[in-house]
Parts: sequence; structure tokens; C-alpha cells
Amino acid sequence: SKLPYNPPPRIYHATLKRVLRKASSFQSISFGRFQSSKRIRLQISCAAKPETVQKVSDIVKEQLALSADTALTAESKFSALGADSLDTVEIVMALEEKFDISVEETEAQNITTIQEAADLIEDLVQKKPTAQAS
Amino acid sequence: MAAPFTLRKIGVPPNSANLTEARRRVFDFFRAACRSIPTIMDIYNLQDVVAPSQLRFSISAQIRNNAHVTDPKVIDLLLFKGMEELTDIVDHAKQRHHIIGQYVVGEGLVQNTGSKDQGKSDFLKNFYTSNYF
Repeated sequence: SKLPYNPPPRIYHATLKRVLRKASSFQSISFGRFQSSKRIRLQISCAAKPETVQKVSDIVKEQLALSADTALTAESKFSALGADSLDTVEIVMALEEKFDISVEETEAQNITTIQEAADLIEDLVQKKPTAQAS
Repeated sequence: MAAPFTLRKIGVPPNSANLTEARRRVFDFFRAACRSIPTIMDIYNLQDVVAPSQLRFSISAQIRNNAHVTDPKVIDLLLFKGMEELTDIVDHAKQRHHIIGQYVVGEGLVQNTGSKDQGKSDFLKNFYTSNYF
């Protein structure tokens, strides 16, 4: 069932949420183009936070059984640290558990350095609360 | 909170064409197993016994055990058996002492852990089996 009025073409995120809440009693909501994932959100692309990088480094050290004083920069590759492909997958799974996120297979294949892992984690953690709010 | 992971039981897929696809299936299986770990710990009450990272390590150790295999069909069969084992565990068809004995403690209680006689010499193998060689 549709809404009794046509929403105006430019609708802001907050108004959209109010509309969605009111319309939650309807069986099926067809907003057409508003249902697409084009949220009006300012995307600031920056590097991951240092504490995220530090947490990732700790997990990598624990997984690969490296000594505590091994210097891990953000650009160190997993393969250079002695990890094979199964180790990389295991590191990604440990990060999934630690940060409570879910990494897709296509995204996981691109992770080769600590910095990339931290960036991906930041991205997913950021996306999570917005998915829960709607 | 990430969406809870449920193990979907699909039928036997066709054989993998090459090693790349077999490797992809191995990783998919490993990811499915790791994502089922919270469920497993919940079912068998393993919270005080073992940490999830230890279970992940034991799963990866078993996969690494067979890492030397190159035939895609053999890999498929091993994955099938692994998937069967995982499904049994998630379905609560096993009991707590099975899980603890096979995956937590690891050595000693199950005979076939460890690499499959890779580094041993022929002399030792013959020595272990019989007196006459």
C-alpha cells in the first residue's frame, strides 16, 4: 500500500526517517528511488585512527606468534611477516570477532597490509550504527 | 552487533575445476566454521574452558594438516568431511567431551592429529609397524 501523498523529490535524511517510522505499519513500502542506498551523508575519507591500527597490530602479533618487540608499521604486509593465505583469513576472522563486524569475501581478498585492514574496519564500524538506526 | 550467522545446509556441490576454486572453498569453509564458533561455545558451554581464538587455531591447524594436498577432488572430499563434522557439531549431535577432547585439548586423545608422516624416515615407519623389515 502506498502513502496517501507523494513525498517531495528532495527529502532529507531526518525527514525520511520520520516518514519511515510512520509508515512502518504498512505491509509493503514502496518509495521507489528513496529506498536506494543513496543517503545524503558527507563522506570524509581519511586514514584509520591510530588506536584501530594498534589493535589490528596486536591481533596480528598474537596470531602470527611474533615477539612483543617486533616493529610493526602500518604498511607492513602480512606475507612479509610470515603469514600464508590461511593466516590472513584467520586474522580477518579474529578482527571480525574483535570489532563485531562482518567482512565480505570480496573485501577480505584485498587486505594485504595492516593499514588496509584498519581502513576497512573503520569503514564497517561506521556503517554499522547507521544500519541499526533505520 | 553483527547479524548472527546460520549454517546453511546445501547439497553436495559439483567438483571444483581447479586448485584456485578448491582454495576458495577451503577459505569459505574456514570462514563458516569461525562464524559458527559463538554458537558452538553457547551450545556446549565452553565459555570457561576455551577462548574463541584457540578454537580458531585448532580449526586452522586441522586445515593446515592437509595443506600439502594438490588434487582438487581430494580437497573437495576433505571439505565435505569437514563440513559434515561442522554440521554435526552445530546440530548438537556431539557432546561436550567430544568437543573438548578433539578440539580443545588436541594432542593425545585423538590418534590422527599431527602431520601425516611427512618428515619421518622409512626406517622409523617400518620400525614402528613391525620387527621384521
